[in-house]
Amino acid sequence: MAERVYIDADVLILGGGTSGCIAAWEARQAGGDDLKIVILEKAFIRHSGCLSAGMNALNMYINQGTPEDYVSYVRYDICGAPIREDIILSVAGEVNDTVKLMESAGLPMKKKEDGRYLNRGKWNIEVNGSLLKPVTASKAFEAGAEIYNRVYITELIIKDGACVGAVGFGVRDGKFYICRGKVTLLCTGGAAGLWRPNNRRDAHHRIWYFPFNCGSAYAMCKRAGAEMTSFEMRLVPIRTKDTFSPTGTMSIGMGAPMVNALGEEFMEKDPYYVSWGGHTAPTPIRMLAFQRETLAHRGPIYLDTTKGDPAKVTGLKGQYLDMSPCIVLYWGCNDIDPSKEPIEIDGGDPYLVGAHAGMSGAWTKGITRETTVQRLYVSGDALGAAPSRFISGSWTCGRIAARHMVKALKENNYQFADIEDDLCDTLEDRTFGPLKRYQEKSAEGLWSDGTLMSGITHKDMESRMQKIMEEYCGGRTHWYFVNETYLGIARKQISRMRQDQLQYLCARDLHELQLSWDVINRLDVCQLVIEHMSYRKETRFPGYVNRTDYPEPDPEFDCFVNSVWDRKTDEVRCFKVPYEQVVPGDRKKQSI
Amino acid sequence: MPPKVDPTKCDGCQGESEPLCEQVCPGNLMTLHKETMKAIIRDKSDCWDCMTCTKACPRQAIQTVLQYQLAYFPGKLIPLVGTNSVTWTSIDCHGRVERFVMKTLVSGDDEDED
Ligand SMILES: Cc1cc2nc3c(=O)[nH]c(=O)nc-3n(C[C@H](O)[C@H](O)[C@H](O)COP(=O)(O)OP(=O)(O)OC[C@H]3O[C@@H](n4cnc5c(N)ncnc54)[C@H](O)[C@@H]3O)c2cc1C
Ligand code: SF4
Ligand code: SF4
Repeated sequence: MAERVYIDADVLILGGGTSGCIAAWEARQAGGDDLKIVILEKAFIRHSGCLSAGMNALNMYINQGTPEDYVSYVRYDICGAPIREDIILSVAGEVNDTVKLMESAGLPMKKKEDGRYLNRGKWNIEVNGSLLKPVTASKAFEAGAEIYNRVYITELIIKDGACVGAVGFGVRDGKFYICRGKVTLLCTGGAAGLWRPNNRRDAHHRIWYFPFNCGSAYAMCKRAGAEMTSFEMRLVPIRTKDTFSPTGTMSIGMGAPMVNALGEEFMEKDPYYVSWGGHTAPTPIRMLAFQRETLAHRGPIYLDTTKGDPAKVTGLKGQYLDMSPCIVLYWGCNDIDPSKEPIEIDGGDPYLVGAHAGMSGAWTKGITRETTVQRLYVSGDALGAAPSRFISGSWTCGRIAARHMVKALKENNYQFADIEDDLCDTLEDRTFGPLKRYQEKSAEGLWSDGTLMSGITHKDMESRMQKIMEEYCGGRTHWYFVNETYLGIARKQISRMRQDQLQYLCARDLHELQLSWDVINRLDVCQLVIEHMSYRKETRFPGYVNRTDYPEPDPEFDCFVNSVWDRKTDEVRCFKVPYEQVVPGDRKKQSI
Repeated sequence: MPPKVDPTKCDGCQGESEPLCEQVCPGNLMTLHKETMKAIIRDKSDCWDCMTCTKACPRQAIQTVLQYQLAYFPGKLIPLVGTNSVTWTSIDCHGRVERFVMKTLVSGDDEDED
């Protein structure tokens, strides 16, 4: 048995990232001095999560128009598909206030001569965000939250249909953490690494999304029986070739158009793309255009920085240093000068994100951020059906969640639950399973290279999972195409891994235990993705998921696809949930 | 793009409760080699290349080196972290040098910046 650490919190926050840190701050404002706020973070809170390399823009800001106009933009940007307009609207209403808060915390904002924030396109503003994460974390320190770094959360504690805490292990100390929360916020980000990345071997983590967010939020919600949404609405990114750095700095920032090998600006040429808005067409349509151009042998595809605003190209390297410094090194090593030549782009491996240009996550009640599991709240990438919240929206969502949590806590006078020893023992066995197995199985013999004769490593499992997802669930090398037959194979293979093979997964040490849990969680997310994609028998997000057997949108599916996992049968039951239009207007057009 | 540690500069962060590069890595990748007591990356293929460790090292012992499959030798990018800014020096494969000073914080309050 591992040494145990018991922690009690009024407000328990799992994942000290973009959302979690600001949620802690807001919980203090709403709940007063006596509230005990705890954050558990698997890394080191000052440098963890999506923001760890820095960022150069906040992609959600109401520069002009109204919050309703922002909703209209978000809706348009995913081809008019259903979104939770109520949620987006609630974020849009206070995002500007949040940005002001972060400016006062020390974030350097770029400003125009008139003192207003420097906008990038319609809805973004530029920042010098290389220390965005330490600045974000400073709000959690200011709130006096109790912070536990290097604790990896493995499971929520569910009693009588409510979430009463979570357990995890100390990545450094190997202790078993049992944390009770009167209310719990789960915000451990989205999921990378389900599909095979473009770069192999020593560059396999040179991907766009943060590779250490491995779907634990989705997997834990699913295992807790929460209703999940939109796992068919993955994000398929177009990014800079090889480094997979963000491209908005060039496309929106300097107006660099996509061009093909012939130098043609195809977004402005093909009537279909033009009908969607040309260069600024919805994100999936731009992805689709990239795919079609390449498949028509007009690749490689570039962002033509030589045609963009010449005044902006000089600042380009600086902007990338604030966010994705490796591309500046890459340009230097490969003699690439963005002012003299276009920058090649590529389609990357798909991700599950709730806060970016994808919308997978937990389903929530009204604008409370409470999931269908009582006392369990989500925010950031973990929150589903409300895309395009990004950094500033994830901060804001954390604030909104925190206020609802404190309110529910007071109104319902929630108390700490008794957690029986039996339950603790079961959760501990599960948490340390792969580590214990290694000890047992190493007694059964080692091969001459030191590997287990009767065990499998997290790396082997990851490779197998990524191969299945790549080849049968619409990976990059399959141009994101799927059909029911492919999905059937994916279902069969991923089920076999989950049901039969996990018993062989072994971890030599605590670092490998963390990586083993990353695989366990990702496999759970794979199951959600496969079932959701299979259920949505249409193509609503061309470019993201291309169903060859149902290539057109079907009005029957103008709704959300939600699901609940049945622990007993291991089945994911999918069902339709109607879409409610809150902001009037043509869903396929932006209002401004 | 994994960090490479110069053993002549790395002192294992003696005096710190935990080496700074190990403390900050979001992927839990940096650690001290048990015998040499110099920092190493546990698995270079797992690095996201966020450069957090490179910026955190007080002795500038870490250099981010791109995987050779992606980039030619021997370009360099070196960050020097100040209180309210980072000064980046980019040296391409032909020795051409560019410098960039990027603002990081508005006030100097964040004294324990690592
Ligand atoms: C490369 C990249 C570029 C982007 N560019 C922009 C941009 O320019 N502008 C913009 O507005 N948005 C941008 N975004 C989007 C934005 O960064 C995200 O939407 C936002 O940061 C998500 O916040 P979050 O709180 O959900 O996740 P995170 O900030 O990643 O927080 C999740 C936290 O949970 C921790 N964690 C994970 N698993 C566990 C576990 N099992 N136990 C304990 N802790 C765990 C992680 O270590 C992390 O600290 C970008 C994202 C990426 C990846
Ligand atoms: S931070 Fe620098 S000096 Fe300290 S252990 Fe790491 S590489 Fe060595
Ligand atoms: S560059 Fe980032 S991910 Fe890679 S070892 Fe350093 S801190 Fe870790």
